[in-house]
Amino acid sequence: MPRCNKSEGHAIDYASKLLSTAEAAAFEQHLKNCSDCKKAVESFTTLLNLTDRAAKEVVLPEAALQDIEMNVYKRLAATQEESLLSRIRAYFLNIASLFRWHQIAAASTALIALITAVVFVGEFWQPKVELQLSESQSADARIEQYLQQDIQRNLDDAMITRHLRNDAWETDSRLQRVKEQAEGTNWVKFANALTDTNIIQAAAKGY
Amino acid sequence: MSVAESMDKLIDDEMLVSQFQAGRQNAFDELMKRYKSKIFSYLLRSVRNYEDAEDITIEVFFKAYRALENWQPKAKFSTWLYKIAANLAIDYHRAKARNPVYALEDLEIPEANLVATDQYSNPVKEVEEQELGRIIREAVDQLSPKQKSVFILNRYEGLQLKEVAETLGMAEGTVKIHLHRAMKRLQTLLQPLWERNEI
Repeated sequence: MPRCNKSEGHAIDYASKLLSTAEAAAFEQHLKNCSDCKKAVESFTTLLNLTDRAAKEVVLPEAALQDIEMNVYKRLAATQEESLLSRIRAYFLNIASLFRWHQIAAASTALIALITAVVFVGEFWQPKVELQLSESQSADARIEQYLQQDIQRNLDDAMITRHLRNDAWETDSRLQRVKEQAEGTNWVKFANALTDTNIIQAAAKGY
Repeated sequence: MSVAESMDKLIDDEMLVSQFQAGRQNAFDELMKRYKSKIFSYLLRSVRNYEDAEDITIEVFFKAYRALENWQPKAKFSTWLYKIAANLAIDYHRAKARNPVYALEDLEIPEANLVATDQYSNPVKEVEEQELGRIIREAVDQLSPKQKSVFILNRYEGLQLKEVAETLGMAEGTVKIHLHRAMKRLQTLLQPLWERNEI
């Protein structure tokens, strides 16, 4: 019996549900009389069932996911700072090069430097950084916001583990995380005073 | 949750981008919230390393933030985001190929974190599922980089062929060819195992 002239691609597309309704219906008719294609469809369907089973949603580490936003803003803040510094550096290097190449014009250069200094502190000097955020929405403000959210979330979790699940180890670990996050922030005094017995009172004051 | 935050959930991605371009910072936060898990899981499947996947996810949103100002809705926002992720994953694999010492020192994510666990399943079944997951992942790793990208984006991330084509910068027909080749290769690798009831 000659082999079917339909390509394996048809069987793959059918098993993968990539055919249009009309194409699928026509291929189903064909399958009734073609054992080769029927076998191929069964094989690819089995394959897809297996890969789909193994492809269930991956378990993502929650702590890393929670920190994504804050880390993005940290990265943006670092670039903003770097960009500003590099522009200032480039600016002074330009002035230095003027001295190197035009020593006889030192007085003029000093004048340029003076004017530049005035412009530097004046409102006309706007460092053109690629990231333009308004004062109230600066990257630092977003970092602070996410940090506070993190601290509050861990505090909430600590309360749940302490009072609902009575899990001392987990409570302690959450409190430790609050303390680590609070380091170097206004929250440090509040975090250091936390114990597993005063969470509710502390949270009430802290919020 | 504020009213604005509740409203954000009802707005489509492209609208949020417009709001962000108009200076509304919270719109970008909502976009990150929507896509961070998807991008992270895609990168985790691609680079197979937890810390690198996290770093690249941050890089994806960092690049998106800087590029969004001039973004034009020629394609869906999600496709554009996956495109950034796919390009960064390619850079990552290139860098690893250039630096094999780094690859040897690299720590891969534990198997347990790559396979979903069902709290109601029994331990034997769980181990079997983990073993199946390992075998499938090893087979997928044997695909060529393009076949692997197409297969992951289409089968695991649920992108349509057209979206995969836009993400990877290929013609739709080429994507289909890669998908067919990927499926045939996987069939060759795995069919003997299921015929012997080993998976």
